[in-house]
Amino acid sequence: MPRSRLLAATCMLAYAAATAAHHAPNSFVRLDFRERSVKAEVMVPLSELGYALQGTPTVDAFPGYLLRHMSVTTVRGAAWTVKVTSVHAMTYFDQPYFRAEVELAPPPGGSARDFVLTSDAVTHEVRNHVVYVVAERDYADTTLAAAPRLLGILQYPVRQLAVRPPRG
Amino acid sequence: MQITFTRTVLLTLLGAGTANAAPCERTNGGQIEPVLAAVATLQETLTAPQRALLERPLTATSATQWSNLPLALVPRAGLRLGDLDSKQNAAARDVFAAALSACGLALLDEVRIADDYLLPLDRNSIGWDGRNYYLSVLGAPSESSPWMLQLGGHHLAYNLVFNGTQPGATPLFFGTEPIRFEYQGRSHEPMNAQSNAMRALATAIAAHARARLPGTYTDVVKGVQVTFVPGQRPTGGTDTGFPHSYPTDAGERGVPYPALDEQQQALVRTALRSYASLPGAAISQPLVEAYESPAALRETFVGYSGAPSLDARGSYVRIDGPRLWMEFVVQPAVADRTQNHYHALWRDKQADYGGELSR
Repeated sequence: MPRSRLLAATCMLAYAAATAAHHAPNSFVRLDFRERSVKAEVMVPLSELGYALQGTPTVDAFPGYLLRHMSVTTVRGAAWTVKVTSVHAMTYFDQPYFRAEVELAPPPGGSARDFVLTSDAVTHEVRNHVVYVVAERDYADTTLAAAPRLLGILQYPVRQLAVRPPRG
Repeated sequence: MQITFTRTVLLTLLGAGTANAAPCERTNGGQIEPVLAAVATLQETLTAPQRALLERPLTATSATQWSNLPLALVPRAGLRLGDLDSKQNAAARDVFAAALSACGLALLDEVRIADDYLLPLDRNSIGWDGRNYYLSVLGAPSESSPWMLQLGGHHLAYNLVFNGTQPGATPLFFGTEPIRFEYQGRSHEPMNAQSNAMRALATAIAAHARARLPGTYTDVVKGVQVTFVPGQRPTGGTDTGFPHSYPTDAGERGVPYPALDEQQQALVRTALRSYASLPGAAISQPLVEAYESPAALRETFVGYSGAPSLDARGSYVRIDGPRLWMEFVVQPAVADRTQNHYHALWRDKQADYGGELSR
């Protein structure tokens, strides 16, 4: 990596780390749009998850919690399949997080390009908590990976977001 | 460091820098004529480039550019107080003294000293420094047309609108880290008045069945908003959420004021005045009268979450009226994660930015 880009990346990380330290940590839903499904990477900070659970979060219990608080439907209300395929503990800008990989699949014959995400994970309890829903990759738009786009945020009482990849 | 020392000595000589222990009930200031005169005097002391920094247009973008994040995270616009010479500093202080109450001025001093205290702990150079507070005049100062005085830095945001459609005291954010500390031989507790008032209120209402708010609060709810996109530099950190929506379900708002006994009701009024007495009385008194009108109090709710004693992170108190919105929250400290720090926010559902902004 050229030195200037390395310096810029280092500054960005330091900036983001400092911002995170000054702001209550928030959640992310990072979406990878594929031809017939969507892969979601869900990142939830343990400090805020602990408040939501009113207890200590565990990797084993996290998939069940996530599925109780996250669903996906077509715009007409037909349910998508939501499957948590893995959960890992991680550190993100000095904050401990759980990172879950979630496979989202439309009903047979349905489009994987638009859906309604319903989620109140953490936000059902923590009133100032924000979930950032971000489009990170799209098989039909390879430029997206270089410049992920914020699709919207979820904060109590808002728990639904209509989702489409930036280039439809 | 020399400038910081000089400023601290100046504040001490002026009688500031002592713990803000007295209830914040002394009110004065905010009359338009003295504020205009003080601004004009300050302008005369400034160079042309400094005046260009001070004088900015009154727009939604400039007005909402306040934050509770340090300077390196959210750059501020305006005239940096740490760059002023002694004559300019004195003139700027006259502006603050004209616009704020004695308590509001003391809070400004105390919060800046708290940032001076944090300066040696600023290992990431994020901008903790009492010199990093900024003053702007948005719009043309006038006796009749709307204009705004914006004064703030890391843990303070005064947004005072004169000649607005509504009295313009809000949004008003203030916070402190540490909560209490010793600095250069003096004791400081910048938010002593407000924390005591909110603690007394939360403790008094805790036994009431409807007082505990649903949910948990790890920061103020209607404050600034940072936008994170992984892999990119965070953006925002200003009042991009304005205008805000507010809870309307009574079950989300706490116990109604009419359900409280007289002593508890008095604590509500003391708490709201501990915030509302920070701007000059000419600005905030009409708001206090509106908040304390019988009709408004009938529709006012108070609630808390966490520990009423406010000694645990996640402790939260809120006063929520037809137009009044005051929050107080206890968060982990940043410099020393084993400690806590305070954030507080006063908004007016009708009169933020003097009612002059619409989006």
